[in-house]
Amino acid sequence: MVNLTIDGVPVSVPKETLLVEAAKTVKQEIPIYCYHTKLGPAGLCRICVVEIEGMPKLQIACNTAVADGMVVRTRGERVEAARAVVLELFLVNHPLDCPICDKGGECDLQDYAMAYARGTSDVADSKLSKPKAVDLGPTIVLDEERCIVCQRCVRFDDLIADQRQLVVKDRGAHDIIATATNRPYRHNFTGNVTELCPVGALTSKTYRFKSRPWDLNRTQTTCTQCAVGCQQFADVRYGKLLRTMLVEDDQISGGWLCDRGRYNVGFYESPERLMQPLYRKGGGFVQIGWDDALILWAKAIRDALEDRGPASVGAIGGGRLTNEEAFALQHVFRRLSVKNLDWRAGLQRQASPGAYGAPLAAIDGAQVIAIVGASLVERAPVLWLRVRKAALQNGARLVYAQSAQEARAAAGEATRVALIWDGVDLGIGKSYAAAFADVTELSTLIASEQGNARGAEAMGMLPSVGPGYAPVPPGLDTYAMLDRGKTGNLSVLSIFGANPARNGAHPTAVCEALDAVPFVVVSELFMTETASLATLVLPAMGAFEKHGTTTNLSGELLPVNPSLQSPEFVRSDFEMLCGLADQLGVTMPSLEEIDRAVIANIAKVPTDFTFGDERFASTAPRNGVVEGRTILSGGGTWLHDPLMAGMRA
Amino acid sequence: MPVTKILTAGIGEVDMRGIGAYRQRGGYKQWERVVRELQPSDVLDLAEKSGLRGRGGAAFPTARKWSFLPSDKQLRYLVCNCDEAEPGTFKDHMLLEDAPHLVLEGMLIGAYGIACHHAFIYIRGEFKRGYEIFCAALEEARNAGYLGRSIFGGVYDLEITVHRGAGAYICGEETGLLNSLEGKRGEPRLKPPFPAVEGLYGMPTVVNNVETLAYLVPILERGAQWFASVGTERSKGYKIVSVSGHVRNPGNYEVALGTTVREIIELAGGLRPGRKFMAVQPGGGSSACIFEEHLNLPYDYESMTKAGSMLGSGGFVVFDDSTDFVNAAYNLVRFFAHESCGQCTPCREGGSWMERVLERLVQGRGIPGDYEMLLRVSGSITGLNLCALGDSIEPFLKSVMLRFPDQFKSRVAAEAGRQW
Repeated sequence: MVNLTIDGVPVSVPKETLLVEAAKTVKQEIPIYCYHTKLGPAGLCRICVVEIEGMPKLQIACNTAVADGMVVRTRGERVEAARAVVLELFLVNHPLDCPICDKGGECDLQDYAMAYARGTSDVADSKLSKPKAVDLGPTIVLDEERCIVCQRCVRFDDLIADQRQLVVKDRGAHDIIATATNRPYRHNFTGNVTELCPVGALTSKTYRFKSRPWDLNRTQTTCTQCAVGCQQFADVRYGKLLRTMLVEDDQISGGWLCDRGRYNVGFYESPERLMQPLYRKGGGFVQIGWDDALILWAKAIRDALEDRGPASVGAIGGGRLTNEEAFALQHVFRRLSVKNLDWRAGLQRQASPGAYGAPLAAIDGAQVIAIVGASLVERAPVLWLRVRKAALQNGARLVYAQSAQEARAAAGEATRVALIWDGVDLGIGKSYAAAFADVTELSTLIASEQGNARGAEAMGMLPSVGPGYAPVPPGLDTYAMLDRGKTGNLSVLSIFGANPARNGAHPTAVCEALDAVPFVVVSELFMTETASLATLVLPAMGAFEKHGTTTNLSGELLPVNPSLQSPEFVRSDFEMLCGLADQLGVTMPSLEEIDRAVIANIAKVPTDFTFGDERFASTAPRNGVVEGRTILSGGGTWLHDPLMAGMRA
Repeated sequence: MPVTKILTAGIGEVDMRGIGAYRQRGGYKQWERVVRELQPSDVLDLAEKSGLRGRGGAAFPTARKWSFLPSDKQLRYLVCNCDEAEPGTFKDHMLLEDAPHLVLEGMLIGAYGIACHHAFIYIRGEFKRGYEIFCAALEEARNAGYLGRSIFGGVYDLEITVHRGAGAYICGEETGLLNSLEGKRGEPRLKPPFPAVEGLYGMPTVVNNVETLAYLVPILERGAQWFASVGTERSKGYKIVSVSGHVRNPGNYEVALGTTVREIIELAGGLRPGRKFMAVQPGGGSSACIFEEHLNLPYDYESMTKAGSMLGSGGFVVFDDSTDFVNAAYNLVRFFAHESCGQCTPCREGGSWMERVLERLVQGRGIPGDYEMLLRVSGSITGLNLCALGDSIEPFLKSVMLRFPDQFKSRVAAEAGRQW
């Protein structure tokens, strides 16, 4: 530890700590622009200068490491004069846009100018004129005049996102930010620059001219659009969701959001949203009430159970529901002796890593990270940032191999290895688990297709696995159910938060199967491909409208907190299941019992299986590769978000 | 009158661009001696004892800079800085075009002195002619076996890469140069880390000026003692001074350090008839002016600094009483604002703002308060910048504003009030 004093206060911090970070430990604010905790120093803005005894020139706190006995002053005439100069110079050309600038109220230039700048200006000349409202790409608007050239966006694009699309062009006072190729700025993480930008130069198109920050009600929740479970803030004004923002100190996301999590939220207000239960009549759908919907649903199930037994009933879903909903789903149907339950509606077979399942921190410390299967940057974008950080900062080696043997050989003598698999091919998963079994510290993670896939499994939404991974008498998996449907032996199929007609292997075959099932119930937000083949469509709530928990890929139990009121006749899957249970005489556990069950089941870390275990076997076709999907292809919501028009692949 | 010809010997008299002519005058004898008989540490020792200091402008003791290289890192680079762009400086231009082999031999010896096997020369983009001449000389030297593998049949390999700049003064700043050499924007880097520790491609690197490296040749030939016996206590040896401005014979003049300011002006033919001396900018565009009372000062690093200026690159610009100092200041500030890389706030915003104010003053559209504002802002920028360019804006401006205030104050517009 190194001991020094900052403004007379003794400070003790680890070696190599930067002064700007050391000052935070004693709550001495040193203003910064170009420096960022996540990006490191750049030494460009010069506003963080401090006085260090023994050094004649003021030093920048962002690039000075602590030293024993250092005497630092962050206050005082010299420092304050320098800060005033830097701010004065920023304001020479900065446009007086505050009244129309989206950053107003949360702007570092406003804040530091109020705190540290002179009250008057000596500028008697016109300001430099630069392009304003530049359409930088599908998500971002750029105002070159407001830019203070801190280069945070450029460094983010280089160090974090590995894209280098943003560059500084021209020179001197004519510096502007632009894309390197003059093509639109577009990748999976663009939205982060709007939060890194200290001023209103980079702003989100979806939030432009919408609100002031002090008008917003902020709720922290967990993003459920992939299995990482980033924490995010939902900012709502007068009941409308205006934007979502990252949570800076979130240990899961590292303080980032991907563009899907951040921007794919406009669908809550889409005019195409399902508002009322729909029942198939004639060639199309008619609106019906909930009472009727529940009665019809229950009757279909009751009839099927009586006529052909529980083998003719099935339920698919869970991966996009909360833990509580997934638990309730398998509970209701298993109480009816139905065994055909499966969350898997796509290509993935396994979502729980089992014995070597590890927390996300295992990635940070890994010496080798082997990625097996689907592209991480599309499947779990923010996880990819974490992997990249481990490679760049901690020297982890990334391995992509054609076979488990090749990957094992590439890992060599490494003792800390992280395996990230997509859970699709059990044979491949098994071969990797076997090949890496001799590694001293093996950590395994599965990047799932759906946000709560692991939670759905822990709750027992699998044909042969019950809550807490307990074995149960086996039923049919999704594709077996569809096969049975094709032969006319499945009477009722209920689908919750899944779109196999689009995301499954061989969608045409799926559609044929669904056509052949006499009674298909689909709980959805939109008229998806699957919903359009249903007998009964039930309008469902989205994640921002409901309350519960979700499980991320490393088994963390995360809160889903509502920030929006759903439309009047839209219900959560939980409410639907309670209604169904009521109709069918199934007793639902109390909310407390469900909470306890969820916690207990998530806490169970199964050690009796690893990648590729037989209990996850399914009859899903092996070669269903889905082409050309980007992060905005998941789920059914993005297609119906009018704000996402510019981003669709 | 001490006109000495060490590096400049033969320039203007003999065509030394060809290797034959150069060798006839003893060229490459020192290089051969160095490789055959000396160790790198011997070369470093000679550089140290000679008292050689960087001739590009910063005047850092050369041997001390070399000694910062970490001894346990075998891979290191030498970069010869030929991005001469300091206003008023044109000595490297001459050396490159008229004595390319001398420059090359200096590079070879310098590379050997730091035990590096790959050296670079960064030639300012505008020096197209010099680049072609140097490349031809390099080719000749390569064919003669002076570089490449197993030089003179020994164990030493050395390769040299020639790189052309693309028109930015800031690429003469050593870390701006390194970034440009690496193919990036020529923006200076934060120091620490210093190039000796983390330089070109992250490897230990020494950046030396053309003239500095060239002086290694005569130092090897005549000895460190010889070089150190000339000059003053801390400013040893010789310097090529680029004299320009209001003198009769502008040009490059090589003198012993310690020669007086007055003597240098006389070497260049003195002032034009009927003209009175007003000021001289002794060390390139980044230096403050010195005045009549300083004419008898020795031209060395310490004396120039003590007089409130610097010796710098040796760009020596003389101003007589026909000078419009407002225009001169505007010219220089416009240069720095134009050349600013734009990374750091004070230089980027301050330089451009002062340029606009001075433009108004030149046009006679000053407003009350402009004079004080220029002094205040240029002063507050100094010391706050990422590199020395921002610090270069104040010296000349302040020195002439304080010395010739009427020239500036008289440019205020007749009517007060803001002028757009």
